[in-house]
Amino acid sequence: MIALSVILGFYNEYKAEKIVENLRQDVSIKAVVVRDGKTSQIDSKLLVPGDLVSVYVGDIAPADMRLVRTKDLQTDESTFTGESFPVEKSTAPISLQHPMPQQLKNYLFMGTVVVHGSGQGVVVSTGKNTELGGISRSLVRSHPETEFQRGIRKYGTMLMTLTLALTIGIFSLNYAIGHYWLDSLLFSLAVAVGLVPELMPAIVTISLAQGAGRMAKVKVVVKRLVSIEDFGNMDVLCTDKTGTLTEGKITLNDCRSLGDEEDGRILIYSLLCNSAVAGDKIVGNPMDAAIWEYAIRNRVQGEVKLYAKIDEVPFDYQRRIMSAAVKRDGETILISKGAPESILARCSYARIDGETRPLSSVLEAINTKFSSLSQLGYRILAVAFRSIEVKDTYSVKDETDLTLLGFLTFTDPPKKDAHRAVAQLKEMGVDVKILTGDNEVVAKTICEELKVPVKKVICGPDLTQMSWNQVKKTVEETTIFARITPEQKLDIIKALKANGHVVGFMGDGVNDAPALYEADVGLSVDTAVDVAKEAADIVLLEKNLLVLAAGINEGRKIFGNTIKYILMGTSSNFGNMFSAAAASIFLPFLPMLPMQILFMNLLYDVANMTLPTDNVDEENIKWPKRWDIGFVRKYTLFFGPFSSLYDFLTFGIMLFIFGASAATPAAASLFQSGWFVESFWTEVLVIFVIRTRRIPFWTSRPGKWLLLLTISCVAFGTILPFTVLGGILGFTALPAEYWVLLILMVVTYLFLVDAGKVFFYKICKF
Amino acid sequence: MADLDLFAWWAISISGGSVFLTLVSIYLYADTRKKRKTREEAKTGLGRLIKNFAFVWVLLGLLMFYIVSIDLRSVAVFAAGNIIVEALLIAYLIRNKTKTE
Repeated sequence: MIALSVILGFYNEYKAEKIVENLRQDVSIKAVVVRDGKTSQIDSKLLVPGDLVSVYVGDIAPADMRLVRTKDLQTDESTFTGESFPVEKSTAPISLQHPMPQQLKNYLFMGTVVVHGSGQGVVVSTGKNTELGGISRSLVRSHPETEFQRGIRKYGTMLMTLTLALTIGIFSLNYAIGHYWLDSLLFSLAVAVGLVPELMPAIVTISLAQGAGRMAKVKVVVKRLVSIEDFGNMDVLCTDKTGTLTEGKITLNDCRSLGDEEDGRILIYSLLCNSAVAGDKIVGNPMDAAIWEYAIRNRVQGEVKLYAKIDEVPFDYQRRIMSAAVKRDGETILISKGAPESILARCSYARIDGETRPLSSVLEAINTKFSSLSQLGYRILAVAFRSIEVKDTYSVKDETDLTLLGFLTFTDPPKKDAHRAVAQLKEMGVDVKILTGDNEVVAKTICEELKVPVKKVICGPDLTQMSWNQVKKTVEETTIFARITPEQKLDIIKALKANGHVVGFMGDGVNDAPALYEADVGLSVDTAVDVAKEAADIVLLEKNLLVLAAGINEGRKIFGNTIKYILMGTSSNFGNMFSAAAASIFLPFLPMLPMQILFMNLLYDVANMTLPTDNVDEENIKWPKRWDIGFVRKYTLFFGPFSSLYDFLTFGIMLFIFGASAATPAAASLFQSGWFVESFWTEVLVIFVIRTRRIPFWTSRPGKWLLLLTISCVAFGTILPFTVLGGILGFTALPAEYWVLLILMVVTYLFLVDAGKVFFYKICKF
Repeated sequence: MADLDLFAWWAISISGGSVFLTLVSIYLYADTRKKRKTREEAKTGLGRLIKNFAFVWVLLGLLMFYIVSIDLRSVAVFAAGNIIVEALLIAYLIRNKTKTE
């Protein structure tokens, strides 16, 4: 059984790891490096500090670099910081004492992506010495113990204590009343073996492997089998925002005029004043590309062809705007697009409700509109224009006296199914918390879109000021944790775990990797960076977040079936072994021979083999459950004696009705046969009562394989005393009257245990 | 005489098991009541107590019946008694049937 458990566990984990391994793109990153005045392309693994490296749009930074030259350089640092909008880079020195990576604008970090412009930098650190390497290093340690593993450990300790005490007690008593020491020892050891649920590793592994197989069908790869149960028991899911709940992609949300009217020119002008190139693929600055995508989606890009572009004044970080001169029907227009503050500073008029008005008269209304849009979490660009005389070239000097036309609002939209997924999680009793490096306004907006009720918002810097106890209190009340560092994500998860929650974390970036590792169950998505996928326990291969609910259900079913086995083992097993111990004291012979106990144990284990395939009642998987060793103890204390009572009753029947009280081998064999059959019947059949909370138990349908195997085992156990094997084991044929009494007695027992459930579940919640 | 001794041992053992189960029930009940916060939840009374401990009364009744029937060495009494108890238990279980959606 143990060997089977080990082989199954190894095989399944190996298979899952292999799938994830195949997912990885084995791409060797090249770097353009200047060495000895010569420019060449080398494998990024060969870079050393001091190398001068050039980067262009689409490049992944091959090392940590101090920038020495930038041209409109923008990078995507979302994997580090969670910030989905591009970060502008410059060469200007920064004087901060302990700068955070996101504050180092003159640095390019390994793993970040150049989304606009180009730059050159001197390599400062490579490989494991980079920021990325530092995060990866923190993952090279063993996984912390999960809630499920903690539960199993506590259960093991409880069982070991119980078994040890019972074994020593039985041996001492038997020896003290004059039984031969070797018989006493063998009997007490057999009782101990009977108490140990040796099949548990196999039951758990088979359950987990089958669950992993079912999850693989919905494209969910379970890398660490043991995490499935925690997935089901998870009551808090902390999730990163960018790329997990959101698409992780900038999208133009709307073109907003300053008044109530619609003005199609806002979009057309921003397409004309645009640095992105729309061919087969849209290439360029993410915000400009988003404008093109929006136009193509809404089929309005065609109007652009009515204009002829004369000249362009490129974007720069001092002005933070770009301009384009275009011509249509003999009229020349200068269009400017950029940061609202920069555009407003160059405007004299504004178009509101179809009229051009002096800016000073509407400035307050414009500022109100701008700030309300900002409060909604949008990134905003302003669009302005003016008629201009025809010239060959235009310059920044022409960017004056403009008329403000409207705003473009950008967002990183939630994934299509995120709203439904969050709603499902809520229904399943899982509290969702957002942990993001992004600002609180953006995070709040996403929560509103996803209809996540926000109890409290807290920012990283405020969290830093708190003591550990305050953090533990705060994490309970807070829904959004904004502008937080990877270390703070880790602290939040630790605090939630310390508060007794089973915590899941879903993330996709490098900055999420430590939290993925620390959580009871780490979840990652298909678009995640490799390091996040590696740290995760479970990888969702498809963008569909609805598989989360399916996975949780799977985890809950597996947990339900594992708990069934544990409750069975610790109640009926315990009851039977306890009566064996008690009977050995007053009987003139052993109530069951060690070999008979071991054989019954083996048969019982076989009957339980199909438990992982059993059905789990719907009401049992509605809410997260968790290991409660106190509950297991109470269950054992309460249901164990039921089994003992019916064992004692069998003793009475065998001793006083069938006359097996004489100290003869024949009487002993009759007694042992009678008790073996009764004990086996009650021990095995009680699963149909214990497996469900429903009253009466027959209203819950058991799994067909469980039913089939259990009935087969009971049939085998019944005919055993009449067989040659039964003879070898020391059994004898039982009288016909016994079978009548047995059936009546076992039925009463099953009904009585069911009645006990009415009382027990009324007072003991689980 | 030896038979009587053995019977006494047996009766003590089965009664001990029943008493243990009753004590566990009382302990679990008391433990839960301690944790109940609202007055409604903590409400008690003889009627409620009798109802809540219904299965304990069945258990103690069963114990008496089993001891008597074994003492009588009567298969018929034992079988008939069991059938009656089963009918009672089925009625109790159906009365307490779980309401599923």
